[in-house]
Amino acid sequence: MKRWLAPVLPYLAIIGLTAGIVIADRPFWIQLMIGICITAVLALAWDMLSRTGQVSLGMAAFFGIGTYTTALVDPVAGAVAAWTAVVLVCAVAAILLGLLTLRLRHMYFAIATLGFSLSLQVLVTAFPDITGGAGGVAPALLAGGEPRWQLVAISGLLLLATATSDILLTRRFRPAFFMIRSKSELAAASGVPVVRSKIMAFILSGIYAGLAGACYGGLYGYVVPGDVFNSNWSIMPLAIAILGGMDTTAGPLLGAFVLRALEELARAWIGGIGYQVVYGAVIIAFVLALPRGLIGFVTKLVRRDTKGDAHPRLQEGRVKS
Amino acid sequence: MDLSVVGQTLLLALTIAGLYAAIASGLTLEFGVMRIVNFAHGEFVMLGAFITYFLETRYGLNPLFGAAVSGVAMLTLSWLVYDTFLWRILREDEHNQILATLGLSILIVNLAMILWGPDARVMHAPDLLPPLRLGAITIPGNNTVIFIVGVLLVAGLVFFMKQTRYGLLLRLASDDATLAAYTGVNVNAMFRLSFIIGGFTAGVSGGLVALVLYVHPLVGTDLVIRAFAIVALGGLGSIGGSLIGAAILSAAESLVGTFVPGGGSWGYGIAFLLIVIVLAVRPLGLFGSEQRS
Repeated sequence: MKRWLAPVLPYLAIIGLTAGIVIADRPFWIQLMIGICITAVLALAWDMLSRTGQVSLGMAAFFGIGTYTTALVDPVAGAVAAWTAVVLVCAVAAILLGLLTLRLRHMYFAIATLGFSLSLQVLVTAFPDITGGAGGVAPALLAGGEPRWQLVAISGLLLLATATSDILLTRRFRPAFFMIRSKSELAAASGVPVVRSKIMAFILSGIYAGLAGACYGGLYGYVVPGDVFNSNWSIMPLAIAILGGMDTTAGPLLGAFVLRALEELARAWIGGIGYQVVYGAVIIAFVLALPRGLIGFVTKLVRRDTKGDAHPRLQEGRVKS
Repeated sequence: MDLSVVGQTLLLALTIAGLYAAIASGLTLEFGVMRIVNFAHGEFVMLGAFITYFLETRYGLNPLFGAAVSGVAMLTLSWLVYDTFLWRILREDEHNQILATLGLSILIVNLAMILWGPDARVMHAPDLLPPLRLGAITIPGNNTVIFIVGVLLVAGLVFFMKQTRYGLLLRLASDDATLAAYTGVNVNAMFRLSFIIGGFTAGVSGGLVALVLYVHPLVGTDLVIRAFAIVALGGLGSIGGSLIGAAILSAAESLVGTFVPGGGSWGYGIAFLLIVIVLAVRPLGLFGSEQRS
């Protein structure tokens, strides 16, 4: 593979697939691709956050906040204000949650974020006057309800998320983020702004998850709290990013394709509730067989260690001086 | 507000706390020893509840024996789970551990959905103890039972960990696995021991669940979410702390449920806001202590 080709390959793949599916205009493929893109955005958002050592189980919170913000602001102030509000509200929520969970390590962080998203679901149902309660809300339709343009819009969002993820993997951010994850005291001592970086990752992650939620709400124009605050939206990004390969941009993208494709196949073959059993089994099998994800597996096969793990490289590179 | 209503609410909450503590203690034991959060713990509870339910409704077995049978069944299942795949992921990163146990949880829940359907069932068990009357306050007999069994289970675990040889070995293996291995402790066997004890407590708790709550495939997920709250409050790894965490959580839940209009539906949402706040102030929980990794 040519050297310049590898970094642009994800973008080409997204654009190519989207264009092909829009031209072919088959409803099934369009819906499948929309599903893949939304989960891929979520998985990238989760991965951005996890690079600073914050393993979140609360992506559903931001997903739901995004949906509800568009649904509540759009009728009052119009579309532009609604999308701006999604970005702002998610950023503020991310800052608050980020500050609150700043000192939590490992499992405590995961449980606190899980708790945050579950309590949001309950609070939304508890105040029906503002949020419509369990009856749900009706966000404005995305792209006028035309599936093809919806796909184009969501692919656009995915391209943005991909670019952001790539920027966070450049030399400007990558070493700092991974150093915070493996040794945050060391990072602080070497002049990395630990708090600022962690919060920044949280904000970006929250905004992308919120935008994904806003898009999802606009697909059918009707959403109940159980849809968007469902803990599936928290588990899936984690599964996709890990199965695809963490700390990369291609990993979550690839993971979203593979996992959603497997899910659809299982749904078609087994149907009903049974396919979820397969889903669970696939997750376990993947974790056992490919602990470093698909990307890690491929890298091992090709034996090119250009984007390997951050920990050993930091140790080798820095200690010599 | 009537004082007897408050008393009734709090006492009932206290009995439920016994059940919550029983569930949380297994979870916190597993974390204390293996440093792993078992997201499938609630599913073991759910399976235990179904076993007790079927034993009672089909064969008329006393739910207390049913709970014991569930405990043994879940002990066996945990053993299987540990030996087939769990031991492999203990050396992986924590996100892989989270994902693997989440996968197991999804698998078991949906298997239960296929086998038994999503509907809630009630076990019409006779009262195992006569109802307790304290003035205007009445506590149903089965609530007393779950409180007693739950507290006994937690106390038994604490005794086991602090006073027995195996408890000592478990603590050694969890404090410093390398040192434990050098002194001749079979660390893997100790980890397995903690996991199957956790499975046993989950099975017994499942029996208690069948006694006082509806039995359905999602009951474990519901309860384990509360158990997370409890272990976060009490401190991950602190078995005694789970009793206090359980008392705080169920008191908060039932007070909100009784005295806030429409508060019944916000139960664990409030509990979780509480946790986020407690963790923000005390990052290791109320009774957690700094652990070596």
